[in-house]
Amino acid sequence: MKTNSTELSYLARKERVTKPRRDHLVLLALATFNLGIISVSAETTVEVVHYFNVEGQLQELAQIQKDFEQANSDIKIKYTYVPFGELVSRTLQMAAVHKAPAIAVIDNPDVLRVAKSNILKDISQEVTKLPIWNDLYPGPKKAVTSDGKAYGVPVGSNSLALYYNKKMLSAAGVQPPNTWQQLSDVATKTAQSPVYGIAFSAVNTEESTWQWEPFLWSNGGSLRDLTSTSAVGALQLWVDLVSKGLASKDVLNWEQGDVANQFTAGRAATMVMGPWMLDAVKKSGIDFGIVPVPVPKEGAKPVVPLGGECWCVLKGNSQVEAAAMKFVAFTEQPDRLRKICDAFNYISSVQSVAKQQGESNPELNPFVEQMDAAKARSEDGGAKYPEISLATRAAIQRAISGQGSAEEALQESAAKIKAILSKN
Amino acid sequence: MSRSELSNAVSFSQEHQPRKERFHFSPYAFVLPCALFSAALLLYPVVNSLALSFRQATVDTFVSGEMPFNGLTQYQAAVADPVFWRAVINTVLFTAFSIVFQFVIGFLLALLFQFKFPLKSVCLSLLLIPWLLPLLTSANIFKGLFNEAGLINQLLHLIGGRPIPWLADQHFALPATIVANIWIGFPFNFVLLYAGMQNIPEEVYEAAKLDGADYWRRVTQITVPLLKPVALSVLMLGTVYTVKVFDLVWIMTGGGPANSTHLLSTYAYQVGFSILNFGEAAAIATLMVLLLLVLNLFRLLMQQR
Repeated sequence: MKTNSTELSYLARKERVTKPRRDHLVLLALATFNLGIISVSAETTVEVVHYFNVEGQLQELAQIQKDFEQANSDIKIKYTYVPFGELVSRTLQMAAVHKAPAIAVIDNPDVLRVAKSNILKDISQEVTKLPIWNDLYPGPKKAVTSDGKAYGVPVGSNSLALYYNKKMLSAAGVQPPNTWQQLSDVATKTAQSPVYGIAFSAVNTEESTWQWEPFLWSNGGSLRDLTSTSAVGALQLWVDLVSKGLASKDVLNWEQGDVANQFTAGRAATMVMGPWMLDAVKKSGIDFGIVPVPVPKEGAKPVVPLGGECWCVLKGNSQVEAAAMKFVAFTEQPDRLRKICDAFNYISSVQSVAKQQGESNPELNPFVEQMDAAKARSEDGGAKYPEISLATRAAIQRAISGQGSAEEALQESAAKIKAILSKN
Repeated sequence: MSRSELSNAVSFSQEHQPRKERFHFSPYAFVLPCALFSAALLLYPVVNSLALSFRQATVDTFVSGEMPFNGLTQYQAAVADPVFWRAVINTVLFTAFSIVFQFVIGFLLALLFQFKFPLKSVCLSLLLIPWLLPLLTSANIFKGLFNEAGLINQLLHLIGGRPIPWLADQHFALPATIVANIWIGFPFNFVLLYAGMQNIPEEVYEAAKLDGADYWRRVTQITVPLLKPVALSVLMLGTVYTVKVFDLVWIMTGGGPANSTHLLSTYAYQVGFSILNFGEAAAIATLMVLLLLVLNLFRLLMQQR
């Protein structure tokens, strides 16, 4: 079994360093002959597995590839698209049959979990040499590091803030909310059938945990202990918004795309949403503004969860690993990073770049301001985050659909989370 | 022919045509592609999944390939979770209601289409639309219809009812998905039953008519019994299709609210691909196959009666 697998991996490694096609070789031989130089060229292919599928993102990826290959003629980039929900399992499968890609672009809460499967290369030696490394915000850095090891570099970050419809708020005579009290007040005054005061996503996917986290964390809570009063308070806020009819009960089925649709169709006065929807909201023609996620009390700091993807280098042969690292370093040059973040609607995970973005695009400022305190989701549970998140959203859905009070629902999920955390 | 002549003939034939059958290659050659196909694409995954269900296959152990054998642990973990039992009950309810309504509607429509009426062929093609639409489309349409501000609530409002948060309420969400599934599945029942009815010879009906049997008598005493073999196949196929429904529910509710609409398929997917506990997901899938076997045994019993 053992020899078999090492044999296989040897074959796989051999295969990954693809030789140039014969006709290229002939051309190359002619060219080198003319120049009087004899060079041995072996192309290295770097396969990048990702789930980006928006046009602007794909264009930017193609541009990076073009520029990188121009600068590094011995390396070829090959992008492989995989649907969002399958990226982790597909990467694991590829690694299990010794056909691991050189780079996987992994959603940040999944990085540490994938690292636990031992397929990611510890690139702490290399990344600490990158100029941007020490300029990273603490949150994104925590998402990729564990016990002094680094398993990736953030491509960029996103998070959540509160979008508001300027017309609706001024018609109701209210200011954009900073606190929970003000939020309830704004929602009450703007809710007028068929318009709801607020829209958010409490759907049965990661999206609901992610959307609730700003409220939980800003209130000082943690997913590790959902029995705390801060957790109950944060969920009660959502439950009240729905039970008072200030938010639709359909939030239980709204994905974030649906939430944005409600807002752009003028059926919600405010919404919890990230920077990736900025273009769509602008296009809708709605006069809108963005403020940080409201906090429990005046003066409290909003703590938002971090979204965004990370370049992760997979274990392979040293030549491919080195080529992959070269590619990552290429994308992490500040100028290049700025372009990528603009094209991907990211807030940069690098402080200086994010500040530039905020200066040239003032709408982004609430997101940029929140970056200092933003938390990596895996800070609550590390590699176990996905399981903990699943238990958490069960409580959110139970309480909002009225199958028990916020406290009861959270207690049940907290017991589950306790069991998850005590497992090794 | 005398006795000796007969024995001569027998010995003759034995001499010249050996009794031993020659091996005929061609029938096996015809079956071979199908057998290979089934083995590679059906048998192998099923066996593999069964094997996986007895192993601790999680993120940590999957890539290294060690996946220690741990017997029934996965099954114990699966059945210890109340969500699993909810999913079992939901799967049974979902299947039973879907099949009954799909079948009855399909049967009644098939009866209707035995008559001649204007625009019959147009109506026939229109009726097939639900079956032809991509599931992604139908599921999203129903998600919209059952929305709080959707068409169904607007109609309710017109007749003076209060809006119901269909997909956001744990009592209404499953029935809503069942309604959607009935709509998607009835054309399948209709087409097969319609074809089956067309195959019943006209003479049988004429004879019954001459004997003075009225319409309902002809339906209950000729159509129903003669349609039984077709009906049983339709029911069996329908059951298999319905137990493994995944996309419709996944799109409409994602198993929510609060896990109240999880079917075994969506639950197994969630355990497998959200938590990446492949072993437990395989165990749930295996139990789902067992459920299918039980349902089919039940059908066999019905068939023998």
